[in-house]
Amino acid sequence: MQNNTRHFAAIGVLVVIFTFVVFWILDAVLKFPLAASTQAGPIDSLIQGHLWIIAFLFSLVVVIAIYSLFLFRRREGDTEEGQYIHGNTTLEILWTALPMVVVIAFGYWSTVVLVDITQRPDNEIIVNAEGYQWGWNFSLPNSDAVTQELVLPVDTPIRMDLTSKDVLHNFWVPEFRVKQDIVPGRTTYLRFTPTIEGEYRLICSELCGLNHTGMIAPVRVVSQDEFAAFWNQDVQTASSK
Amino acid sequence: MSLFSLGLVRAIVGQILGMLTGMATTMLIRVMLGLPAWAAEPSWTVGAIFSIIGALWAVGALSDWAKWMKGEETPMHHGPPEGKPAWTRYFGVDYNHKVIGVQYTVWGIFLLLVGGTMALIFRTELAESGRQFLSLELYNNFIGMHGFIMIFAILLGIGGMANYLVPLMLGAEDMAFPRLNALGFWFNVPGSLLLLSSLFIGGWDAGWTAYPPLSARGPIGYQLFFLGVFAVGLSSIVGSLNLLVTILQMRPKGMSLFKMPIFCWAVFATSLIQLTATQLIGLSFLMVSTQRALGMGFFDPGLPGATLMTGLGDPILFQHLFWFYSHPAVYIFILPGLGIISELLPVFSRKPLFGYKWIALSSLAIAIVGFLVWGHHMFVSGYAPVLRYAFMYSSLLVAVPTGVKFFSWLGTLWGGKLTFETPMLFVLGAISVFLIGGLSGPILGTVPSDLPLHDTYFVVGHFHATMFGGFVFPFFAALYFWFPKVTGRMYNETLGKIHFAIMTPAFWVQTLGQMGVGVMGMRRRIADYDPTLGGGSIEAWQLSITIAGFLIGFGVLLMLWNFFQSAEVGVLAGDNPWRSRSPEWQIPSPIPEHSFASPMVVHGEPYDYGLPEPYVAFAAAGDD
Amino acid sequence: MSVATLGHQADHGHADGHDDSQAAYLERTRRNRLGMWLFFASEAFIFIGLLAARFYLWVDEGGQMMRPELDQVVGLIVTVVLLLSSYFMNRAEVSIANNNRRDFLWSLVITAILGTIFLVGVIIFEWGMLPFIFEGHLKPSDGVFGAVVFGMTGMHALHVLSGIVLIGNVWWLGRKGHFSAERHWGVEATAIYWHYVDLVWIFFYPALYLIGHAYGVGH
Ligand code: HEM
Ligand SMILES: [Cu+2]
Ligand SMILES: [Cu+2]
Repeated sequence: MQNNTRHFAAIGVLVVIFTFVVFWILDAVLKFPLAASTQAGPIDSLIQGHLWIIAFLFSLVVVIAIYSLFLFRRREGDTEEGQYIHGNTTLEILWTALPMVVVIAFGYWSTVVLVDITQRPDNEIIVNAEGYQWGWNFSLPNSDAVTQELVLPVDTPIRMDLTSKDVLHNFWVPEFRVKQDIVPGRTTYLRFTPTIEGEYRLICSELCGLNHTGMIAPVRVVSQDEFAAFWNQDVQTASSK
Repeated sequence: MSLFSLGLVRAIVGQILGMLTGMATTMLIRVMLGLPAWAAEPSWTVGAIFSIIGALWAVGALSDWAKWMKGEETPMHHGPPEGKPAWTRYFGVDYNHKVIGVQYTVWGIFLLLVGGTMALIFRTELAESGRQFLSLELYNNFIGMHGFIMIFAILLGIGGMANYLVPLMLGAEDMAFPRLNALGFWFNVPGSLLLLSSLFIGGWDAGWTAYPPLSARGPIGYQLFFLGVFAVGLSSIVGSLNLLVTILQMRPKGMSLFKMPIFCWAVFATSLIQLTATQLIGLSFLMVSTQRALGMGFFDPGLPGATLMTGLGDPILFQHLFWFYSHPAVYIFILPGLGIISELLPVFSRKPLFGYKWIALSSLAIAIVGFLVWGHHMFVSGYAPVLRYAFMYSSLLVAVPTGVKFFSWLGTLWGGKLTFETPMLFVLGAISVFLIGGLSGPILGTVPSDLPLHDTYFVVGHFHATMFGGFVFPFFAALYFWFPKVTGRMYNETLGKIHFAIMTPAFWVQTLGQMGVGVMGMRRRIADYDPTLGGGSIEAWQLSITIAGFLIGFGVLLMLWNFFQSAEVGVLAGDNPWRSRSPEWQIPSPIPEHSFASPMVVHGEPYDYGLPEPYVAFAAAGDD
Repeated sequence: MSVATLGHQADHGHADGHDDSQAAYLERTRRNRLGMWLFFASEAFIFIGLLAARFYLWVDEGGQMMRPELDQVVGLIVTVVLLLSSYFMNRAEVSIANNNRRDFLWSLVITAILGTIFLVGVIIFEWGMLPFIFEGHLKPSDGVFGAVVFGMTGMHALHVLSGIVLIGNVWWLGRKGHFSAERHWGVEATAIYWHYVDLVWIFFYPALYLIGHAYGVGH
């Protein structure tokens, strides 16, 4: 018993070391795709925060457990029972209250992020996407033209207005992080601002039947001029066929 | 002895005959109404309902109730059926809770093997990118089927542990309602057979969650699936009702609720959820079923411009009803397992359970808070944005009582005299795995971080870790631990340790791998994936996951072989090989027909290892 | 499902087979009673689920709470009939407790008849299942109105039907001389089941007939 302080000190040091090691492993294993929207920034920081807590709690439990397994294993020939400890109310209250504080803190952080990534900017443009079994149609609000490729302007807040022809689908571009279900009978909305020009893939993330696997559409983020040009000329010619 | 004297055979025949009767009845009615005789949807639906009744009736699970309705006496029969070998009682209706417990467990393991085989089949498909041998159709069928068969297996495994152990731990002669108990088990047989047979009439392709509109328009197999779930749900309801009454009213004098073995608390909390929430999954599937069969458009928005008279159903309503059961259901799956962990740790630490009351109440807290968090499965469903915030906070709160359990387990280990027999190893494995599962929960529970992870393999990794840590590992620990009590013989310790050494690291690889590929951007429920994900590293991960899956399967087979062998040739275990204080270890192994020769008297506390005072003792014979 | 099981368990059931004393009977009845109430708690979730669906779905584009135009006269009549039947069910239970077998049996018959009238009212007039007698207003496939009306009344009618079967069974056993002032759990169980089904209707009736704007009126 009197040795407990020494053990706790050793455990404390090990937990700190372990936390860094576990975080490093998590960071190596969990490879997020490129972050290509303004929404990705705060989301990724929140995830990093989670990973730190995960690394710490994991280390805390595992270190104490493994330490106990070595320290308190029954030696050869020992026939005594373990120490007669029934519990400790202070400890129980402590490990109820502290996690409570931590989760509420995370709740608050997430609230701030969620408000931030869903708020409505003034200059957003609206793009319609319609999902069907198994493909996508894209259009702009006041134009009849329809494309199968989603072309978006860079650095411009987008509001996707999502509708479905048949069953549930989901709009997700991993690089933009955010996703939204598409529900027949109503319109759902998703806001994001692409920040990096390039080619991406829109993948349906809600099981929608036989070829859900293949319900993918190309996404191209281009400069604002190119975007205007695309919708003014390329599409008109394409859909006037 | 004819084959038909086996209840199981009669049940299957009865189920087939019931199915045919139901179909014939439907056709008859249709002809009378002037409709064409054959229509697949109503015929299979009515047939399935009749098939459940047919199986129950043929096996004899209903006969005592029929007699009561006729006003006849039904004296209780104890012991194996007359004129038949003793083992046949396990294949028929038997009212002894120990027999029923074994029936639940064995049927559960059977389903575990079926569901596991399906998983290994589609894991093989996923081992490398590109599509190899599974059609898209079969792939979609298998993932849903795997999911629901495993849910059945878990429910049965829990039923097995609870039925076998709770009356013993309370010193009760049997469950409160033995006949209801038998009926509860036998619901599972037609239920799971219906589920399995749905594969042969087109299957169902919307995953275990069966969201409409997809499930409202898919193949006919949905109806058999829905009714199979319904039957198993009825089993959950009557089983949990029985357990609640048993726990509340059949405790011996002196055993207050806080003096029960902790496993009974876990079962109590689980039963509260099962009793109530199960109705909602039944209802939600029933609503889809009637939408299919009768055009009742609960979830059908109708054509554009529809009115309340022509449409306006809402698919999101289904998700609310479904998750109102299915989130609490995950706590049904894990609470008994966590109870097993708390039950076994003191035995192998030779030390009281740390913070008994806190652990008991945390089970209750999890059960209650668990009812308020269902919306965290619907963060991106398109429901009112304000609900996102509400369900985010409530979900985060669940982490608190879960944490209490972990810390209390550590407190139990600290200062103990630990030994590492196979059950203890599986308990430690369970803690490590459930830790991974639990820690990956809150990151899904806060909305912004859930947005990139929802419906990816990260979720798959999360819930496999919780299920394995909360059910599979503790269940295996329980099988090893109580094996000597059930059979009177010891399992082979070396094989048990090998099983543990194979399965635990394999599972870590599997679950971390699943989380890893999810983060890279792999969606769930897809038959093929983009090999360039994660900078091309995804394929190595996928292969590792598949190999790990096969290793786990191998470990399970090793365990079963161990049990089959040891039941015959294992060394005699004696009455109390673990020196446990729990009541069931104070009576002979295997347990006689009437478990307790004389009434049980409670003296001390269940986990006071180190004190000479026993937990329970038995009044001397004749002292009654 | 388990109604019949619970309802009759203790009359004849011998949970442990050998003890037929009054004390053992009371002990078993205590268990049965708890089981019955747990069963009601469980069932409540079906009905709450249906009510939740009704309040979720019966809202028009403007967010206005709506209801279909059902036949108010039929609704009122069946409701009164069902409430009345509960009175006779109670009378049956009191009669057997006082060993008055004649009143007991008569009250059961009246309860069953009133229950049947309720069912007939629902099936013929609310549902219009027999169009040559009465044309119904609504089909199951009529949007969310049809779905919810038939879902709620259908689930409730199923319970009424099983209640009538139970009452018939109790009546038949009672005529054969079963049940006594001391031992009549079967009667008690059937009675509380019947009251429960009645109670459910007290929630369903306003949800179906009274709350919200009638569709079509003032539209
Ligand atoms: C620490 C507390 C936990 C939290 C905060 C949590 C949170 C979540 C969230 C938010 C999801 C939805 C993820 C998504 O689809 O985007 C989820 C999925 C899931 N969780 Fe947990 N979880 C916790 C513990 C558990 C436990 C103990 C189990 C028990 C088995 C469990 C089983 C599941 C299952 C089965 C799913 C997936 C359901 C599906 O979509 O098929 N979780 N969890
Ligand atoms: Cu899809
Ligand atoms: Cu959940």
